[in-house]
Amino acid sequence: MVYRALGEFLILVGSLFLFLAGIGLLRMPDVYNRMQTGTKATTLGALSLIMGVGIYHPQWFFKTAIISLFILLTNPVSSHALARASHNKGIPLAKGSVLDRYAEDKERGLKEAENDS
Amino acid sequence: MRKWLAVIFLILLGFFMAKITSSFPFGKEKWGVSKHYVDRGIEENRGSNLVTSIVVNYRGFDTLGEVTVLFLAATALAFLLSTCRCRRRYERREASLIVKTASETLYPLLILFGAYIFIHGHLTPGGGFQGGTVIASAVMLMLLAHFTFHPNHRALSTVEGLAGITFVLIGFAGLIWGGSFLANNIIPLGQWNRLFSAGVIPLIYVAVGFKVGSELSGLITDMINTTKEE
Repeated sequence: MVYRALGEFLILVGSLFLFLAGIGLLRMPDVYNRMQTGTKATTLGALSLIMGVGIYHPQWFFKTAIISLFILLTNPVSSHALARASHNKGIPLAKGSVLDRYAEDKERGLKEAENDS
Repeated sequence: MRKWLAVIFLILLGFFMAKITSSFPFGKEKWGVSKHYVDRGIEENRGSNLVTSIVVNYRGFDTLGEVTVLFLAATALAFLLSTCRCRRRYERREASLIVKTASETLYPLLILFGAYIFIHGHLTPGGGFQGGTVIASAVMLMLLAHFTFHPNHRALSTVEGLAGITFVLIGFAGLIWGGSFLANNIIPLGQWNRLFSAGVIPLIYVAVGFKVGSELSGLITDMINTTKEE
């Protein structure tokens, strides 16, 4: 069966990504990097795992599609809110970070506010 | 020293837990009340979720007590919050556009999901308490994302009261026409594993879902709104 093989492959890919996310949570140097492994990798991992199950058992496909849609809606948003909150709270980046676009953006916003007033 | 005491305590605790649980006959023939629940539960209540049959029917009186405890706790907390002059220790920052948009999309979906959970309480895992909590989490998401979101408090307490009264009235209907409080033979039981089955169990769980949802929503609204800015 072709679809069975495809489902098994997707489940394997998903578990690999979830495994890497688990390692990343332990190994990454700061909050933002850990958040990246904890959300980016788990989004893809959970998506392919759940869709793999849906393809392996076609009668569940509709349900798993809805679950995947829900994960797609919630997971990135929650990680965005968490990362933004921790940046605003002033949690430092890891040593060796070279780019902090959000801090630049906030500074620019402050300057514009000063120019306006 | 304290660390070693803790280790010794844990070892002793583990030893006694293993000793006690090793004498339990897991997976063996059940007896007494639990045997009756497992063997005759579906036949008597026609609900495919046996846990719901037990929680809402066999031990429905207990559940009524639990709902009352929740009500009392919510009332007491609301009273305490109304008297305290709580101050927020930090400035509340407006949520970003992404969170606002996503919360508006998710709010109806989460409420639908909560309603699904408590309507299917007699068929699938979950029930009134879980569904109500999901609904309250939807309200909490909106409260966190929008400063301008204010649920109607009077409507919430009205719904809560009506749902609680519904539970008690179903119980009394069982007492009048069925022979005992919360008896499950006043309306047709229907066929096993269908949406319209299990007699009064889904009705009670829908009432519990409404009650828990409105109660927790009101509680969260109170907690967020009574803390004032400095």
